Amino acid sequence: MATSAVTHYFRSSIGRKQLVAITGLALCGFLVGHLTGNLLLLVSSDAFNIYAHKLISLGALLYVIEAGLAAVFLVHLGLAMKLNMENMQSKGKYQQKTKTGRGTTFASQTMPYTGVMLLVFLILHLISLKFGTHYETTVDGVVMRDLYRTTIEYFRSPIATAWYVIAMAAAALHTSHGFASAFQTMGWNHGKYFKNVKRLGLIYAIVVGAGFAGISIWCHLKGV
Amino acid sequence: MSSDNTFSLNLKIWRQKGANAEGKLVDYHVDHVSPDMSFLEMIDVLNEQLVRKGEDPIAFDHDCREGICGMCSMMIDGKAHGGYKNTTTCQVHMRLYKNGDTIVVEPFRASAFPIVKDLAVDRSAIDKVMIKGGYISANTGNAQDGNSILIPKPIADEAMDAAACIGCGACVASCPNGSGMLFMGAKISQLALLPQGQPEAPQRALNMVHEHDTLGFGNCTNHAECEATCPKGISIEHIARMNREYIKAAFTYHEKTRSE
Amino acid sequence: MAINLDAKSPAGDLKDKWSKHKFESKLVNPANKRKFTVIVVGTGLAGGSAAATLAELGYNVLSFCIQDSPRRAHSIAAQGGINAAKNYPNDGDSVKRLFYDTIKGGDYRAREANVYRLAEVSNNIIDQMVSQGVPFAREYGGYLDNRSFGGSQVSRTFYARGQTGQQLLLGAYSGMMKMVSKGKIKMYNRREMMDLVTINGKARGIIVRNLITGELEKYAADAVLLCTGGYGNVYFLSTNAMTSNASAAWRCHKRGAAFANPCFTQIHPTCIPVHGDYQSKLTLMSESLRNDGRVWVPKKENDPRKPADIPEEERDYYLERVYPSFGNLAPRDVSSRQAKYRYDEGKGVGPTKQAVYLDFADAIKRLGQDTISGRYGNLFEMYERITGDNPYKTPMMIYPAVHYTMGGLWVDYNLQSTVPGLHVLGEANFSDHGANRLGASALMQGLADGYFVAPNTVSHYLASTTLEKVTTDDPAFKDAEQAVMLQTSKLLGVKGKRTVDDFHKALGHIMWEKVGMARNEAGLKSAIEGIRKLREEFWQDVNVPGDAGHFNLELHKATRVADFLELGELMALDALERKESCGGHFREEYQTADGEAKRDDENFAHVAVWEYTGSNSSPIRHKEELKFEYLQLATRSYK
Repeated sequence: MATSAVTHYFRSSIGRKQLVAITGLALCGFLVGHLTGNLLLLVSSDAFNIYAHKLISLGALLYVIEAGLAAVFLVHLGLAMKLNMENMQSKGKYQQKTKTGRGTTFASQTMPYTGVMLLVFLILHLISLKFGTHYETTVDGVVMRDLYRTTIEYFRSPIATAWYVIAMAAAALHTSHGFASAFQTMGWNHGKYFKNVKRLGLIYAIVVGAGFAGISIWCHLKGV
Repeated sequence: MSSDNTFSLNLKIWRQKGANAEGKLVDYHVDHVSPDMSFLEMIDVLNEQLVRKGEDPIAFDHDCREGICGMCSMMIDGKAHGGYKNTTTCQVHMRLYKNGDTIVVEPFRASAFPIVKDLAVDRSAIDKVMIKGGYISANTGNAQDGNSILIPKPIADEAMDAAACIGCGACVASCPNGSGMLFMGAKISQLALLPQGQPEAPQRALNMVHEHDTLGFGNCTNHAECEATCPKGISIEHIARMNREYIKAAFTYHEKTRSE
Repeated sequence: MAINLDAKSPAGDLKDKWSKHKFESKLVNPANKRKFTVIVVGTGLAGGSAAATLAELGYNVLSFCIQDSPRRAHSIAAQGGINAAKNYPNDGDSVKRLFYDTIKGGDYRAREANVYRLAEVSNNIIDQMVSQGVPFAREYGGYLDNRSFGGSQVSRTFYARGQTGQQLLLGAYSGMMKMVSKGKIKMYNRREMMDLVTINGKARGIIVRNLITGELEKYAADAVLLCTGGYGNVYFLSTNAMTSNASAAWRCHKRGAAFANPCFTQIHPTCIPVHGDYQSKLTLMSESLRNDGRVWVPKKENDPRKPADIPEEERDYYLERVYPSFGNLAPRDVSSRQAKYRYDEGKGVGPTKQAVYLDFADAIKRLGQDTISGRYGNLFEMYERITGDNPYKTPMMIYPAVHYTMGGLWVDYNLQSTVPGLHVLGEANFSDHGANRLGASALMQGLADGYFVAPNTVSHYLASTTLEKVTTDDPAFKDAEQAVMLQTSKLLGVKGKRTVDDFHKALGHIMWEKVGMARNEAGLKSAIEGIRKLREEFWQDVNVPGDAGHFNLELHKATRVADFLELGELMALDALERKESCGGHFREEYQTADGEAKRDDENFAHVAVWEYTGSNSSPIRHKEELKFEYLQLATRSYK
């Protein structure tokens, strides 16, 4: 049976994890965009609402973007779960208690768990905010959704805020391994630069995690 | 000469009669352990005791006992080759342990390495991966002069770093996923670095990776536990080079590859 | 039965012998090659390269190895390098000089034609290995780098860090894997050869033990290549691997293959000293270290001071003193003997008082620690792991240890033994190193035999011999299998008190003390007595637990030690009969006033070839006279 190299690629261990890596990096990019948007919460309610309104006004294009994002997310999630399930088969019947603390880190070992946590978070996040209470406001004579109010009201709950902060810690942990790991998987590991890639990954994880979490706490304080 | 600074150890050693038998950890006690002994010599002493008592000695793989043949294995306290830097089990010396220590000794565990007996495992999967392309097809004959292929020292050195792999399988055993990417990556990387390896580079990457995936090895998730464990200090940079070679080959190689 | 010791060295000028011989050899046409099956036992440099090359030619190869993979054969442990007469450094090297150095290094006890051929193909080996991707050390310009080794005044040694053997072996292994993928080599791992099967006087197959299941297996072929290495483990402690053994060669000897020069063993001067009676093996520190290390002992006897506290003028750099022109790079036999003289004088160092120092302080001062660690870093690390001492700070302590056996099964120019069809390659044969092997020559010989010599000569054998069809149903296979089974049940049936290692250590002790670095008549006679007695005890008191039907490591060891106990006696007998000193064979009765070996060319310029005559009768000593047509027999001097 002759199968083309490209077909092999999408079935192979390396091909699939490269897809996980690329989609992971895409999601990392998305998070930067999302965080930048969220920063407008700190500027003013109008600024934030105008930004949200502009996105909503994209109309059909927004659906395309959202569908793309969903696809990226599903590929990342689906392949990662598949690979992880295969890995659980590959150590045989007896798991030895591997004492690590050398190569393996807490972050690298918990990738499947933080990943699943982020999935749960994402669903709740969409339900409570994107599909949350619909308020309206008028800015400069334009009627638009008051997403600012939805957000502030949502974070009024300390439990919601706490959950959000915990989820962002998971995101930080996930990306602290995932960011540099994706570079390695794509083959972008060169002795000269890779240390800096690792550092960048760590900075990214901290900035993104702390950024989102910080804003949620700010919203909570603003709301109460 | 025998010195007085010998000590005693407790060992928990995995005993398993054959590939399909049930195994378990069995307790042993060894006296008169000298700090100058190697770990395997300590097991020799234990085996001598067992033979004298008419018991079945512990089966374990070993051969050169100088850290190069790759035959010795063992997880010592959960770490492949004991977890000392650039060291194989045969080069672990008992001065690293102290009187009264309890040491757990298990075989290398991975689905791709079925147990043969006790601490000996079947690592023929490593050869199977190599058979799919871990070579340069240069038949014996009148090869061109060695100096007609110039290889800059840094490249030769890096190829040598990768070529140092002894095929012991510690990378697989220590990987939480039982992945074989380090030993395979080392070979693909070595040959990809050298000009002689270029003509076959795409088939090599495609065929070896495909074989790896069918033999029960897991997928790499970049824990880098293999790099920390490798007795020859092989870097995961070689895995990265393999990943690069692989994606390049998958999307640019023209000929259809044979899957079997 | 008279044995035929015709060396078959081709006539004609030395330079043309090999090409003439190749031309005159019969060929097998390409379509017929696939009708032949060749067995290759062992997958070291000789076996691996022979298996790959014969398979490339089109023969069906059955390859057997004792380890779990052909990549683990003990050639892998060679550290320093491989010689070739490339003359890249422009320091006056040539094929002829490599030939001369090898003959002289072997103390004029090797066959000229074979050695010249070895030197001739040495260059092809380097080219072949480079083309297979062996990462030899390079200079910044990309050219191959060389270093020096003992017994030569030119730099002709190619190397890959301190693991040249590994890289070459992996090269040969990769060639094998290529042919396995093409279906031309069938690989049988974890098999130990138990006997040779001869039919109508020709080698036609082997009996092996599957070490995992314990079962005996039979394989038939048209020719058998024995590439099973040397027998240094007779001494129990040696630098050989644990499974390196003499059984395959010894069983062939018993089937009619004559054994040549069994007493020629090499004691390597730079090994890590013995540390206790539980010790299982000795570790070599590459001879390449003597490029930069200086060997010395204190001038004072029983000097208790630490090496650092002994001032320069109270040190005896004895190799530089005794051999000013070769200095620390004097050949192995000579260096080992000088070390022995020092500790016999009471100047040895270390806890056993049998070691000498190998000091890098001067080299570190001259070149810097980085350069030294670039050259020998992995060796220094290995030394520190084993001894706990840091050789950058304190001198290494080294000690001579059994390393290589120049003797082996007798072969003619075609590498064929006295059993037609049984070819013997690499360390297992006796052919190229005479009474002493020079450093970096073992790798060269293994690959020369496997890549370039045997493929030609085995083809000639297959083309020129009538080979009737043979299967493993032949009664000869059954008989051989029965004999092995009988021996196995005998071993398991003794149920004595002493372990196999116990006997092996006792044998090793006799061999080291009496058939070691210095030998004498009385000692050798008592060694023969002692070994006979030990052998009797072995068969009455050995304890081999378990049965033959599983992975029984004690049984495997026991069969090997049973053979060592016979071979050891032959070694002592050969040493007793060779009434001269040459190379690694030093008879105390035959030495010059300053303790150098005194050869007797009149009576002993021959190969001693032993014929087996049965377990109850003495072996017969034959001679193959060595004719030196191109080199003059001269006293070997490194002064």
